[in-house]
Amino acid sequence: MKLSQNSYMFDMVLFELQDIAGKDYVSIKASDKEVYSIDYFWVSEMWHDRQAGRDITRPSADFIVHPKNAEEVAKVLKVANNYKIPVTTWGGGSGSQGGALPVFGGIILDTKRLDKIYKIDEQAMTVEVGTGIIHQTLEWELEQKGLSTMHDPASSRCATVGGFIAHRGTGVLSTKYGKIEDMIVNMEVVLPTGEIINTLPVPKTACGPDLNQIFIGSEGTLGIVTKVTLTIHRLPESRKFRAFIFKDLSTGLRVGQRLISENLQPSVIRLYSENETKELIKKVLGIEKAGAYLVYGFDGKQEMVELQMKYAKAIADEEEGEDLGTDLGDEWWKNRYKFFFPPYMFHLPQCFGTLDTVATFSNIENVYNAMKEVVETRYPMARFIGHFSHWFPWGAMLYARFIIETPPEDPHEAIYLHNSIWNDALRAAMKAGGVLNEHHGIGLKLSRLTPELYGNSFQIIKNLKKSLDPNSIMNPGKLGFGV
Amino acid sequence: MTTITQNNIDTLKACRYCPMCRQSCPSEFISYRESDAPRGRAILLHSVYQGGKEYEASAVNAVYNCFLCGACKSWCSGQELGGYDIPELVKFARRDIVSKGLAPQVVQQMKDSLVANENTRGLYRKLAYTSSVVEKTADLLYILGEGANYTHPEIAESFICILGHQQIQYTLLKDEPTSGKELDLLGYRKEAQEKAKNMAGRIMATGCKTIVVSDPLVYDALKNDYPAWGLKLESEVLHVSEYLLSLIRSGKLKLKPTKIKVTLADSEFLGRNNGIYEAPREVIRASTGDNFAEMQWNHEYLQSAGEAAFTFDGNLFDRGKELGRKISQKAEDIKAETIVTLSATAKNNISATTGLKVMDIAEFAAKQMF
Repeated sequence: MKLSQNSYMFDMVLFELQDIAGKDYVSIKASDKEVYSIDYFWVSEMWHDRQAGRDITRPSADFIVHPKNAEEVAKVLKVANNYKIPVTTWGGGSGSQGGALPVFGGIILDTKRLDKIYKIDEQAMTVEVGTGIIHQTLEWELEQKGLSTMHDPASSRCATVGGFIAHRGTGVLSTKYGKIEDMIVNMEVVLPTGEIINTLPVPKTACGPDLNQIFIGSEGTLGIVTKVTLTIHRLPESRKFRAFIFKDLSTGLRVGQRLISENLQPSVIRLYSENETKELIKKVLGIEKAGAYLVYGFDGKQEMVELQMKYAKAIADEEEGEDLGTDLGDEWWKNRYKFFFPPYMFHLPQCFGTLDTVATFSNIENVYNAMKEVVETRYPMARFIGHFSHWFPWGAMLYARFIIETPPEDPHEAIYLHNSIWNDALRAAMKAGGVLNEHHGIGLKLSRLTPELYGNSFQIIKNLKKSLDPNSIMNPGKLGFGV
Repeated sequence: MTTITQNNIDTLKACRYCPMCRQSCPSEFISYRESDAPRGRAILLHSVYQGGKEYEASAVNAVYNCFLCGACKSWCSGQELGGYDIPELVKFARRDIVSKGLAPQVVQQMKDSLVANENTRGLYRKLAYTSSVVEKTADLLYILGEGANYTHPEIAESFICILGHQQIQYTLLKDEPTSGKELDLLGYRKEAQEKAKNMAGRIMATGCKTIVVSDPLVYDALKNDYPAWGLKLESEVLHVSEYLLSLIRSGKLKLKPTKIKVTLADSEFLGRNNGIYEAPREVIRASTGDNFAEMQWNHEYLQSAGEAAFTFDGNLFDRGKELGRKISQKAEDIKAETIVTLSATAKNNISATTGLKVMDIAEFAAKQMF
């Protein structure tokens, strides 16, 4: 139901929400509506950037609510169901896929007040935490006790733990410690109809399907995760890095695959394509070398790390890498977040996007080449760069990006170009054995391509959605679902 | 004439879509609203200064909700190259809001009070500590600032006690006027400069060679604003902690050793704006030795005490305790027994939230003095 702000019915609903969360924690202010209409999705930024002199409007929430616990979240969802009002969950608003945008209005449910650390269990090595906590805040508290989740993305400083769960986030240490979904022990979830449930106390059971997996990556379309127990680790005694330049990307990929398949258990492998080495590594780290930059890292007991470093170097030497030493590896670690700050990060008026995907070792180079070819041949105005930053026993993740320096000034034409590149690049990736995304999620940006990725199995996901969210109020327009 | 600078525009463009400093912003984690984060403010201001939008009341409030503490700058890895400055952007926006006649009522009331009564809260001037002092000429002038002058006179009494004990001749300014700093931070630069001119005249009339200041806002004004506005003071300007340290170093002031575990709440205006971090630590260590302990957040990563948090959500700022609680929690985490503060605001906000002893640096030194 769309409510006019001039109607008394608007005030009646507003009152119900204020009664739940308190007057200070429900906003209908124009400033909040504006700020919550833009996340890290390029289209929402561009639309805001190009507003001068144009008659354009942004999708906007009617109410912004800040509940403090699962009970308040449940009550808000019950009100939303009563009046069939869309609910879009907002964590840090740092998602790049438009997943947190209130594209059909309604309620923005900001989770940041769900920020309690309930329990740090140093025997089970778990932490129970509200999902609205900014991840870096959690890490700082754990660090005081010599602990860490070892989830270490650049967005740690601005994203919530719940945001990571919503879109299956990952961090630079994922090659050893896994993605966020590998760190989840159990969760408290508020279902779209307002029931509060808990998943089983531990995840590795033989008691049927794992309920965690229904909600992980569901981007607020199937429920709202309000509390989670995550695995934690002791901070390592030693952490070492070493950097190399390889003659080309193929050699670098082979080195990465060998580091994995020879069971060296690196925590980090970061391989940059030749053109990203030229562009970004020079800009951020000041290293001016031709070829593909690769940094690997190990952590743990010092003697074990020394051994791992020794065997890793032997592989790199066999593949004729130019050794840049440990200092330049350490430099990368020290500056690993810097890439994402202005002025280092891509920014408007540039048009840009992160075409991240994942495939087996057999396919990943083909995926890279297919995407590169389609972007460079069909869109000569675009640059294509990529790095490989998350490695699995079976394959690797490609963090590809396109950048256009001067996209069309007309915002409608700019969106057409932007979407065309995404469609073409991701269809090329899927054809070569890749998927739509590895850790940024689907959101609004890739929603239209999701049924295409899944084929007829998408019906299972649709049925799940219909069963859990009968009024289709949860984050409409995202993850392949309509209104 | 309020003119946007190139640095203001660079800041707008860099910060409007960048959330990377948000975990450091104290105002966002009081209201939990995105419009109270640096990114939110930059989005709203970009709409006005680059998007052709008129100011709307809630956007004006968001501009006044900033505490100007500079945490966003400390946590920005793009600072070195970009020089982005949200506090300067917000101060520019406030001046522009004022020039357009759009300042919130509470801000206008505060301005009126500063102009008429020399304090932000409309308190009678006869309530000020300095209302009964006799002003004279002296080499040393002690300036209290609003907090010590009106609500925490024990800070002034402690410093004056030290001066007396050291037999140092000093003067205070009778009915100490405002420095103009608060007016400038609220967006009233013309009025601020008039007050600054008055204050500078009063200072010079004392013939002082050294000015010692308790209030970090006044210190910042004398050190940075006055020279920028062409007001040249002949005297050296020191914060109380710097002056105490000079007395300790010269051997004139000796502090008794203590086994009490003491920590320090850094000041945003002394620290981030003026680099004063070590002087108060050295003063404390002169008594505590190794019993001085750092809280988790210290030096440039300090937690804001709300020294310039005059208004919030259109009200006179009354949620300072929420900032104070965050600091006292960190002090309790390290099992400190005493928290030393560097402003009356910090003392006020922190002491309301903890059973630990909270005292200004002047009180600490006076208590530990032989």
